[in-house]
Formats: sequence, structure tokens, C-alpha cells
Amino acid sequence: MSLGLDQTQLDRYSRHIILDHVGPAGQAALLNSSVLVVGAGGLGSPIVQYLAAAGVGRLGIVDDDRVERSNLQRQVVHGESDIGRLKVESAAEFVAELNPDVTVETHDLRVAPDNAMELIDGYDVVVDATDNFRTRFLLNDACVLTETPLSHGAVYRFEGQVTTFEREEGSPCYRCLFPEAPPEGAVPDCATAGVLGVVPGLIGTIQATEVIKLLIEYGETLDGRLWNVDAAGMDVETVPLRRNPDCPVCGDDPAVTAIEDVKYADRCRAPSE
Amino acid sequence: MRVTVDVVGEGTHEVEVGEGGTYADLLEPLEYSRHEVSIVVDGQPVPEDQPVEVDRVRVLRLVQGG
Repeated sequence: MSLGLDQTQLDRYSRHIILDHVGPAGQAALLNSSVLVVGAGGLGSPIVQYLAAAGVGRLGIVDDDRVERSNLQRQVVHGESDIGRLKVESAAEFVAELNPDVTVETHDLRVAPDNAMELIDGYDVVVDATDNFRTRFLLNDACVLTETPLSHGAVYRFEGQVTTFEREEGSPCYRCLFPEAPPEGAVPDCATAGVLGVVPGLIGTIQATEVIKLLIEYGETLDGRLWNVDAAGMDVETVPLRRNPDCPVCGDDPAVTAIEDVKYADRCRAPSE
Repeated sequence: MRVTVDVVGEGTHEVEVGEGGTYADLLEPLEYSRHEVSIVVDGQPVPEDQPVEVDRVRVLRLVQGG
């Protein structure tokens, strides 16, 4: 049973095809899947690499930044010769070289309230690989409103957090845990606090793993659990998460029914707050 | 009352709060402001201005880097 896989694909994906719970059907599912990766930096690099290698058929990549030398310590999809280029172009070129089965759609822009819904439309899974709270809250809200599964990852110094919001019945969302964003500058970013280069690699590969499991419909994701990974002590702490009935976006009586309801420029506040 | 405050990824602290002490009071001996964290009980955030009713909480820091 090849499920439409040609000889080259049977060869390329042979280690998936012989694997129980993936097999030809799982590989065909991956090739027929679409994933939007928002951010082509530290987290986005391993996510793009592994999803492309796995044969995810349509890969959207969103980023409006250009490659800088200081990125190369962790953003492994880009190289020295890419400095100054758009990250989406550099990432797309990497994918084209790695796997011609993957169609890449590049979006040289910043996710904003006026484009978020259109951007994620038609993708099976969205991956949050961004570096700022405004985009994180916006992606969460858009994914809840469209019932699109969202992979969340974030890094800081030697640590990372990762979870998956499947959008199944009773599934929590990012705002269930963090109802609104902190004030500007209250939480340091990697540019000011630093990050061990391999940490986004650790977290990004977990995010890619979660996405692949969702697409082949096998295994248990981190839905309802957040992993906090500390690379210094090599500790993984699991924090259970539950849907919050008072959540402004996925609660019983949500204040947010459209992206336009939220003041993203003002700590991503919902209208009743 | 004595409350165990588990700052995820960092470690636990034993914090004393007085009668009617709030969840926000649990953060006072720590280096985090209420804007930087979520105080979680049984998988859900608790309002920081509410009186403490449990003897153990988790504090989850907001992380934005990518």
C-alpha cells in the first residue's frame, strides 16, 4: 500500500513508512498537510527544518525580519551568506534544498490584527515561534476563534516553555493561563537577557514533534500540560493546565468574539477589562 | 499561614502570609512582580487580589523569547 507515494518518496520517507503508527498512511497525511510557522528565528529554524524533512506538504513561514550576524548563534536555518536577507527567503531556500516535496509560502510581514485571520486560514496547525507577547496573544486569539490547533514555545536564558493547544472540547488556551500581556518592558527578551543557543533548538524540536503527532493523529500531545525545560539543571517540570471558564477568549462567556475586540497595543486587553 | 510557592523552573519558597493575605502577597518576598507571572492553583490562574486559600501554589513566569 503506497497511498500515492512515488518511488522517490518511498525511499525518502522509508524510516517513517516502516514505523508503526506512521506508515504509508501517516506519511501521506503529512504530505497532504499544511502548517503555518510564525517566526523564522531561534524556534522557527528547527521547526521549519524538521517539518520540511518530515514532508509536510505546505509550509507557510511568516517573518518580517532580516538575518543579522547575532542571529546565527541559534537560528540554524540561516548562514553567514544570508546576513541582510529576509529570513523568510533564507528559510525557504533551505527547505527547497532539503525537500522538493514541500511547497513553501513566504509571508514577509508582521502578524497584525488586520491580517491574522486571513494568514491562518486554510492551515491545519499554527506554530507560535515568535519573540513578542503581542503576536503571541494575537495568534492565540485567532486560533481560538478559528478552532485551529496552536503549538506554543518560548525561551529565556537556559529555559524554555512548550505546550500545545489542540482546540478540542475542554482544551485550554494561552489566555486561560495568562489573561493579558505584561506591560511593555516588564519581561526581558532574549536580546536583553540572552539565551543559550541550543535552547530554542530543544523547544523547537519538541514543537515540531507535537505538530507531526497532530498531523498523523498519533500519541499524546502536551494539550493540558506545559513543559518547563531547564537546560542548566536538565529538569523538566510539567505544569497541568485547565480551561478557565472565565477566559476572555475561550471561556463560557467570552468577551472576545473577534480580533477587532482586543486592544493589542494596550497589553492585549479584552474589551471588558 | 505558611504557603509553599513553587516558582516553576526556579525552585520552591516557603512564604508566611497573615490573616486575609492575598495571592499577590505571596510574591512580595520573591523577585517577581504580578505582571511577570501567573499564580496557578489546580491548573488555573487565581486572581491576585483574592485571599490565599491553599497551602501550595505554582508561579509560572511569562516568557516571550523565540
